[in-house]
Amino acid sequence: MSPTPWPSSEPKWLATDVLVVGGGVAGCLAAIQARDEGAAVLVADKAKFLERAGSVAGGVDQFMTPLNTEAEWDSPEHLMKFVPGLTDGLSDLDVAERAVHELPRVFQRLCDIGIDFTDPTTGEYFRTRAFGLPGEYHLNFDGSRFKYKLGRYTVGHGAKFLPRTMITDLVTDAAGERVVGAVGFNCRTGERYVIRARSVVVCTGDINRISRNISGMPFDSWHFPYNTGDGHAMAFRHGVRLTNMELVEATLTPLGFSVQGTNSYAGQGAYFLNRHGERFMFKYDPKGEKARRTILVNAVIEEVLAGNEPLYIDIRHLPEEQLDDFVRTLGVDRYTLPGYFAQRNLDIRKELLPFGISEMSIRRGGSYFRGSGLVVDTSGQTNLTGLYSAGDCSMVSGGISVAAAMGAIAGRGAVESLGAAEDEDAALDPGSLDTALARMEEPLLSNSGRRWSDFEDDVRALVTDFVGMRRTEKGLRHARERLRALAAEEGELDATGFHELMRTLESKSIRLAAELMTEAALHRTESRSGAAHRRLDHPETDDLHWKRAIVLRQSAQGELALESMTEREPEVAVGGQA
Amino acid sequence: MTTDTAAAGAAAAPAPHNPIDVDPETCVRCMICDYVCPGDVIHKEPRSKSLPVIAYPDECWYCGLCEQACPADAITVVFPENMLAPTTPVTSLLGRDPE
Repeated sequence: MSPTPWPSSEPKWLATDVLVVGGGVAGCLAAIQARDEGAAVLVADKAKFLERAGSVAGGVDQFMTPLNTEAEWDSPEHLMKFVPGLTDGLSDLDVAERAVHELPRVFQRLCDIGIDFTDPTTGEYFRTRAFGLPGEYHLNFDGSRFKYKLGRYTVGHGAKFLPRTMITDLVTDAAGERVVGAVGFNCRTGERYVIRARSVVVCTGDINRISRNISGMPFDSWHFPYNTGDGHAMAFRHGVRLTNMELVEATLTPLGFSVQGTNSYAGQGAYFLNRHGERFMFKYDPKGEKARRTILVNAVIEEVLAGNEPLYIDIRHLPEEQLDDFVRTLGVDRYTLPGYFAQRNLDIRKELLPFGISEMSIRRGGSYFRGSGLVVDTSGQTNLTGLYSAGDCSMVSGGISVAAAMGAIAGRGAVESLGAAEDEDAALDPGSLDTALARMEEPLLSNSGRRWSDFEDDVRALVTDFVGMRRTEKGLRHARERLRALAAEEGELDATGFHELMRTLESKSIRLAAELMTEAALHRTESRSGAAHRRLDHPETDDLHWKRAIVLRQSAQGELALESMTEREPEVAVGGQA
Repeated sequence: MTTDTAAAGAAAAPAPHNPIDVDPETCVRCMICDYVCPGDVIHKEPRSKSLPVIAYPDECWYCGLCEQACPADAITVVFPENMLAPTTPVTSLLGRDPE
């Protein structure tokens, strides 16, 4: 097939102070904060409208923050005492502390811009205790319009929005030490952009489509399938440090439709049964179905391996009123879930719901205040000058709350660095730009017939079989070899049209993430954080050597360096292992 | 692969499941489903009487934003057989020995 031509022979040049890549919650808060400081801000996202961009565009129902009321637990200081128990050695506590203190401030900002966090039935805050936190930090609210309002406010506040635009690469100065912009294209029109920016904030979310699931449909995923680690990949190519890439995040889900929230059924009194009708959770934890999520996931894996499938969720014993409530709220987490049960002719009030585990994501391994992605300091900056990051692609993440907090911090930081760059507006390196534009174009020039979807299937098969839930050195080494071989095929990937170009470039980001996951999982010769990293050949947790995050970095010569950092001494140590 | 064999292959393959059913009677031909779809899955020709086209059915997240946003209630998300009655064993997701 003949190559798709670009609509114009030259890319369009744009200039801004701060470029925000990704218009989800973190990206919007970064943009708002940078606008507060008076900077020119441009937000780029694959979505058509900022109001509809990001993983919570469909709605969200919780925001976590201390509110500084009189209750002893209700302060950032109190919450912070419990953070190290969540992060399990895999974060930077100074950055986490910065985020914790920002939570009530960013919450107030969100209230000020018109987001209503009160319970519509009472007009008061409805606060609950969740995720093992030491207080009722989670506000339940009707967030069906949350992202809409946030996006609308961000544009109204003066941020410019570049729609349907995939940013594909960063551009640096000649020394490769400072980010000076980025390149991207519109996935409908094919218009190409070169964006000069004095600082860039990467808010591209988590990494999905990386392993198989029950339906066999890669876009049927618990998390947002259009988040594919593009920000991780473009940063990594420029020597930015990534951390916690080995952490698996998976959840319990109805067999056939990967959705969130199934583990919360347990909190409401559901029974987990195996095919013998046994409430199996008590074999794994005295709390039974109310055990922590990672214990639930591990128990489900054990039951499946023991041949006790199918497994069921049973809510039939719950009181009528609670069942009504349960069914009424099913669609809050995922709008289409009630319709799914209806099309399946399944009445969960009267019938057992078959369940299992979802595909995996790379996203903080299930614990708040840590993250899988770009290492940032207390101002949200990475080790590449002028490059900032926040949200699920960065090292300190945790739902919309921490995304908002770190987004605001990174937006503020991005503006501070403008002052520092005032007198020496770094020159854009033509070599860096040419490389970025060539990389963007490559799949359109290929004529091989090798499609992104098949390539991605190959990556998913390797991750599922050898890198995923139960890891061994042998399996990981095998996967690493095959993933490297797939890297060599990337140049052949053949895209027709700009939508397909987007997917093709995404599939390359996914492959790189899989390789980095494999490298880090191979390096970590222990098991940690429950299902997040389970080595069958190293089943014990080894705090002495491994209570530290693995950091991956590509050298200027293109070689991978493995380093590590501890929570209180984030200075990176080479080698990582004792 | 030549263009001819590619076309023959495409003809032989079963049509992909259509996740988004648009009722042509009630659809008002606005652009909203195209605008809200987070996956660039739905394409509607602007300013025309044509129905929205489900351009990339395999890339649907089944989020239902289109169904929710449709001002005419013309959209129904329809789940495929491998989501309604999946046959893959969970064990196949749990890893295997490289040998």
